[in-house]
Amino acid sequence: MSDRAASTEPGFQFADAAQAREVSTLGMWAFLATEVLFFGALIATYFNYRIWYGDELIAAAGHTKIVLGTINTAVLLTSSACMAMAVWSQESKARRAACLWLAATAALGLLFVAIKSYEYLLEYREHLVPALDFDGARYGGATELFFTWYFCATGLHALHLLIGIGFVLFAAIAIARDRLPDGLSIRILGLYWHFVDIVWIFLFPLIYLAGRNG
Amino acid sequence: MVLKVWLALFALLALTTTMAFVQLGSANLAIALAIAVAKAVLVLWFFMELKGSAGLTRAFAAAGFFWLLILIALTWADYSQRRDVRVPVTISSPRSP
Amino acid sequence: MSGPPPRNYFNATVGIRSWLLTTDHKRIALLYFASITFFFLVGGFAATLIRFELVTPGPTFASPDTYNRLFTMHGVIMVWFFLIPSIPTTMGNFMIPLMIGAKDLAFPRLNLASWYLFIAGGALTITSLLLGGIDTGWTFYEPYSTFYATGYVILAISGIFLSGFSSILTGLNFIVTVHKLRAPGMTWYRLPVFVWSTYTTSVILVLATPVLAMTLAMLLVERVFHVGIFSPALGGDPLLFQHMFWFYSHPAVYIMILPSMGLISEIIPVFSRNRLFGYHFVVWASIAIGVIGFLVWGHHMFVAGQALFASLAFSFLSYLVAVPSAIKVFNWIATLHNGWIRFSAPMLYAFGFIGLFTIGGLTGLFLAALAVDVHVTDTYFVVAHFHFIMVGGAVMGYFGGLHYWWPKISGRMYPEYWARFTAILAFFGFALTFTPQFIVGYLGMPRRYQSYPPEFQVWNVLSSAGASILAVAYALPVFYLGWSLLKGVRASPNPWNATGLEWDVPSPPPPENFERTPDVIRAPYQYEGGRALPQAKHV
Repeated sequence: MSDRAASTEPGFQFADAAQAREVSTLGMWAFLATEVLFFGALIATYFNYRIWYGDELIAAAGHTKIVLGTINTAVLLTSSACMAMAVWSQESKARRAACLWLAATAALGLLFVAIKSYEYLLEYREHLVPALDFDGARYGGATELFFTWYFCATGLHALHLLIGIGFVLFAAIAIARDRLPDGLSIRILGLYWHFVDIVWIFLFPLIYLAGRNG
Repeated sequence: MVLKVWLALFALLALTTTMAFVQLGSANLAIALAIAVAKAVLVLWFFMELKGSAGLTRAFAAAGFFWLLILIALTWADYSQRRDVRVPVTISSPRSP
Repeated sequence: MSGPPPRNYFNATVGIRSWLLTTDHKRIALLYFASITFFFLVGGFAATLIRFELVTPGPTFASPDTYNRLFTMHGVIMVWFFLIPSIPTTMGNFMIPLMIGAKDLAFPRLNLASWYLFIAGGALTITSLLLGGIDTGWTFYEPYSTFYATGYVILAISGIFLSGFSSILTGLNFIVTVHKLRAPGMTWYRLPVFVWSTYTTSVILVLATPVLAMTLAMLLVERVFHVGIFSPALGGDPLLFQHMFWFYSHPAVYIMILPSMGLISEIIPVFSRNRLFGYHFVVWASIAIGVIGFLVWGHHMFVAGQALFASLAFSFLSYLVAVPSAIKVFNWIATLHNGWIRFSAPMLYAFGFIGLFTIGGLTGLFLAALAVDVHVTDTYFVVAHFHFIMVGGAVMGYFGGLHYWWPKISGRMYPEYWARFTAILAFFGFALTFTPQFIVGYLGMPRRYQSYPPEFQVWNVLSSAGASILAVAYALPVFYLGWSLLKGVRASPNPWNATGLEWDVPSPPPPENFERTPDVIRAPYQYEGGRALPQAKHV
């Protein structure tokens, strides 16, 4: 008598649903660990240049838009709160609430991207975009290096955010139609979303809070 | 609970932004990072449910950050001790092709 | 035995779609096996051309530029498309679920996706080779690789980037599998050392590769957009590239050697009919290698302009990392004591590993000494050092494991006397190829140079002669293993009379591995009076 499902069924390698759930949670955390090091390489780049350049790099950071950056941080933190509510609603089987909270999460994510795009536009107009008519005469020292890093870091973050928004919207619509696929767990999606938030929590002080005094 | 965490996060955000305008030299970065770590811990512990998770899950969560610290610490060992003479940057990147 | 073979993972379903869309870890292992064998041949061909060029002090057939492209492609292909995937994706994929008593990995579809990413990455890199290649060295140092190198740098690096994601996902899969899918009774300390080694390797894959991915991505941004991140003329620091490149690439060498060490720990007990001496020491030594391996990367940068303080720290830590490797060697040798030694092919490869790896490892200590490194860095001494470990160690172990598990994977026995002859030929071919390189490196011959002073020629000729012998030793298995698939004796479930759950299933195994979940009752490598005590309760 075989105590395992046929090898053609999904999930056959698991003994039960609880094991499958633990496995997918660990899998997502392992993936997030890789993302910590992926973004971490950018963070390490920043720190080392900050040590190496000192005040020049800090002054370069003063050209970023702190008001927009702070608003954006508030937006993303709120989106995380909405996502937490969505996970809680989903697990309480409150379908409508889950759908609405997910929609709110996605909306705030899109708001972040919109504000970020506006920031990029402002920076373009001020000739702060490297390789795109960067004004080397006006901005000396480490400004170009800083802004190269800035566009890489925020660009990569925005890409991750857009992917998250895509999944969240898909989930919201699927829940509305009561056709959420078995393989898509809102809780696991939440882990990814919160992680993208945490990346921003660390990028925010490095980008916006330096060079604001004196 | 979500509401309380959200309010705490906002309070920390207000704090960190305000502190940026207070001139404290090298302490500015330390304070900003400490606040960032506090925010991250709130998100990890409550939103990402590490509070109720098994030790193994917490170990997985911590591993990435700990390893990043290795990268930062040992490169710091180099950069903090170098006495390079840098040629001033006088050129800008070439225009796109 | 006659008649049609019983239902196994190979013949259970037919058709190309059942292979290209499989989620069976055993089939995916074979897909990888075919792929890495192809890359080994490409990288080996580049090596053949290199050794041919180096037979004469001046140009033999290649220009300096062509020579640069040859050693770059040799390095890129061998590191990322052969050595790093080799043991984990073939034997790791095939054996880990079997060794822990599982039906498959935790994420079978992700496993298949890993293979496709690997193939996509390989395709891009091979395309860059066919279009003329790159001449940056496999290390892509800045600012040469961004602003001055001609050739298809972007294409090659994109390929490496994709294969990096392949290895991250494989590592992730293994980690979760070993944590969560072990059969009842299979506690951590009952796991075979190969599982521990591959688990440690997987942790390195997951934590180190993303840093490489980001570093290469920044390199691509620089090259595509003509901006500066690491380039000195634009305010960057080329050393920062080296720091982050080696933060990955040093642990990467432990990715390459740890699984091979795991194989040696499997082979030696079987062919000496003894328990593995100091199992716990071997396990924790593997973990120590994995952890300390992350702390030593600066030893690649002693003469690059790194601060002396950092160099001192890295030098000290590099001495430290040799200790767990030595502990493993001592335990392997102690396992042999009072054993009943069989000089079968896997054992011959294991002996070759121990001897050659030890020499390679000891010469690492020479390089870790700052004062010595100033003289021998970027010479053939370094080249010999890492080839002793990568080829004399990792590749020998790979062939040992391949022969050890060949009956399980293929259901056939390989021809023993051909295999023994090949193993011995490989050992001598290797020794002749790389020992002269230690000498000529110490005498001052730089690496990555197409031409050299005439007084070095004798050593280069010896080395190239050895390489031709080694090439034969690598070609032979293609023929006799291929022959065994058609004409080899059919293998029983446990032809070596070994312990381990993988020997409890038929050779080759059925698609679902185990008919019922094994009930594990004892530690691995339990041999009593030469008799193997199986790990699981027999039903």
